[in-house]
Amino acid sequence: MSIQICAILPTYKHVDELERIITRLRALKLDVIVVDDGNTQDVAGELFQICSRFEGVDLVRREQNGGKGAAVIEGMRRAVQLGFSHALQVDSDGQHDLASVTDMLALARQFPDALVTGKPFFDDSVPRGRLIGRWITHIWVSINTLSPRIIDTMCGFRVYPLAASLAASEGALMSKRMGFDTEIVVRLRWRGVDVKTLPVNVTYPVGNYSNFKLSENVGVSAMHARLFLGMLWRSPYLIWTRLQATDDTSTHWAKLGERGGALGLWILAGAFRLFGRHVSLALMTPVVLFFFLTGKTQRRASRDFLERLWRAGGLVTRPGWFMSFRHFMSFGAAALDKFAAWTGNIPAEDVDGVEPSVFDVVHSSGKGAFVLTAHLGNPEVIRAISTLKKRARVNVLVHTAHAVRFNALIQAYSAGSTVRMIEVTEVGPDTAIILQAAIADGEIVVIVGDRIPVSGTSRVCWANFFGSPAPFAQGPHILASILKCPVYLLFCVRFGARHKIFFEHFSDRINLPRKDREAAIQIYVERYAARLEHFVRLAPLQWFNFFDYWRPEGLEAPFEQAQSNSKSEMAS
Amino acid sequence: MEGRVPKTLEDRIRTLIVETLNLEDIKPEDIGLDEALFGDGLGLDSIDALEIGVEIQKIFGVKIDTQDENLSSYFSSVRALAEFVGQRQEPQEQAS
Repeated sequence: MSIQICAILPTYKHVDELERIITRLRALKLDVIVVDDGNTQDVAGELFQICSRFEGVDLVRREQNGGKGAAVIEGMRRAVQLGFSHALQVDSDGQHDLASVTDMLALARQFPDALVTGKPFFDDSVPRGRLIGRWITHIWVSINTLSPRIIDTMCGFRVYPLAASLAASEGALMSKRMGFDTEIVVRLRWRGVDVKTLPVNVTYPVGNYSNFKLSENVGVSAMHARLFLGMLWRSPYLIWTRLQATDDTSTHWAKLGERGGALGLWILAGAFRLFGRHVSLALMTPVVLFFFLTGKTQRRASRDFLERLWRAGGLVTRPGWFMSFRHFMSFGAAALDKFAAWTGNIPAEDVDGVEPSVFDVVHSSGKGAFVLTAHLGNPEVIRAISTLKKRARVNVLVHTAHAVRFNALIQAYSAGSTVRMIEVTEVGPDTAIILQAAIADGEIVVIVGDRIPVSGTSRVCWANFFGSPAPFAQGPHILASILKCPVYLLFCVRFGARHKIFFEHFSDRINLPRKDREAAIQIYVERYAARLEHFVRLAPLQWFNFFDYWRPEGLEAPFEQAQSNSKSEMAS
Repeated sequence: MEGRVPKTLEDRIRTLIVETLNLEDIKPEDIGLDEALFGDGLGLDSIDALEIGVEIQKIFGVKIDTQDENLSSYFSSVRALAEFVGQRQEPQEQAS
């Protein structure tokens, strides 16, 4: 369908930039609707003068100042009357970089059903207080749209699909003032309208002043509260649409992805820096609840794990749904700790078991070491503390790119970190050579041993884990054998307000003789599984494998009847 | 045969295999040029392959791409491996 786009310029007091803006828009052959939002007679006269100098500029006058929202809606109605299907909204104070208009229009033509909105990159002219305000709004919007996706809703530089936008604002008690920009996005999202974003430059012009008043903060808070109630009312529908959108059938952990991982971390990072741990946890609760309610696979995995733990005597009472929710919350808290660790917000005094540190031991041995850990508690705490203090170089092997995204976060907040994340899906000669060199230089190579390989599930050993066989990767043990160096186990869990590091010797050198290789690997894997079980029992809710750990997709269990007997199984 | 001074690429690779893997009961010259290295022949496995790959990459400076679909054919025998190394070492001398 071909779409007809015009521009809407709500104008109150700002007239200095108006002529320049209109000239630019007309050069792009856009019809312009200027909304005079109840300006004084003087300003209105000036507006009239400016507009009459151009062709294709329509002036709509509101007798009373109604605020930006009211002005934009008025402009939208006018646009529909004139036969337009879409409207570009530009602030008349000149803070939007009009160079992006062409790109925005192109995006709108490509996605006629979506709202296209600018995602601002601020230059240094932005007042600092407003950036904090932006964070709060981001968090609220995320909650109110029940989506971990952050949409910058405060940028009034966008292309509206007119029919949907008017329908969304119809009958709603809309914010007439600055809250409008946010509210309309939330309401469009509620209607299932997609939002496309485009990075734009935003400048706060020197001579001009923004119409944002402190008293409006109150209005904005009221708006968030109103939207929150609206969200609760609509939540069944919103959750339903999200369930439709996510394919919940895949159960291999690598395919599950991190639901909202990166953005979630960024929200937390901001909240943590602004408000600290307790407030961040409280803020996170509705978000965690949302993931708990919609993450069927993860929820089921949590239940399964807790049930097995209980049967194996690891829990006093039989776990119910609430225990699973606490399991989820504990995951959220761990994400906070990760961030706290990296930004130096966990003092070394709050960590037990630091000495003798793995780094001291490794250092005194004169050569590097291979360290096996797991998705239990927060190994990041160890890495962060040790590397920030000792400047030891640590290489962390990760299976997928998601830790690489976490890297970006670390880099942003703690430059000079000596941790290198190496993505490995398969260890080839390349990786082995890099790691051999690292070990020779006295560096530490860290890998998790509790996840099975992404590709090809053949290199797996089944080992007894909480009473029944679970598959464990052979890869870390094989790699250790090739690196020919000492191997340690390292875990860090949180007890109350304190973290505790567990560091123990695993093997001087993993040796896999050619003749009995499979059996030798089996022995190492079983030892790892047994130690892991021991540590998981210390902090069960800090076990962060939210997928079907015992029966992952695409992997045949060696023998199914083994569930009840506790003797360990040999690989087939 | 007189394998004391390894000269040909094939000989060097045979020695490399025996030394890297500590094949105690096998001498380099015992490995047939076309003998299957993996499975039925010499009976090596994928871990051996990785170790051999590491050594080859270190000694000959030949980059081994684990995503290469023909990887198993390069590693099928000493002759194939020598051919692979020879090609990658001096690509300009080979037509293919």
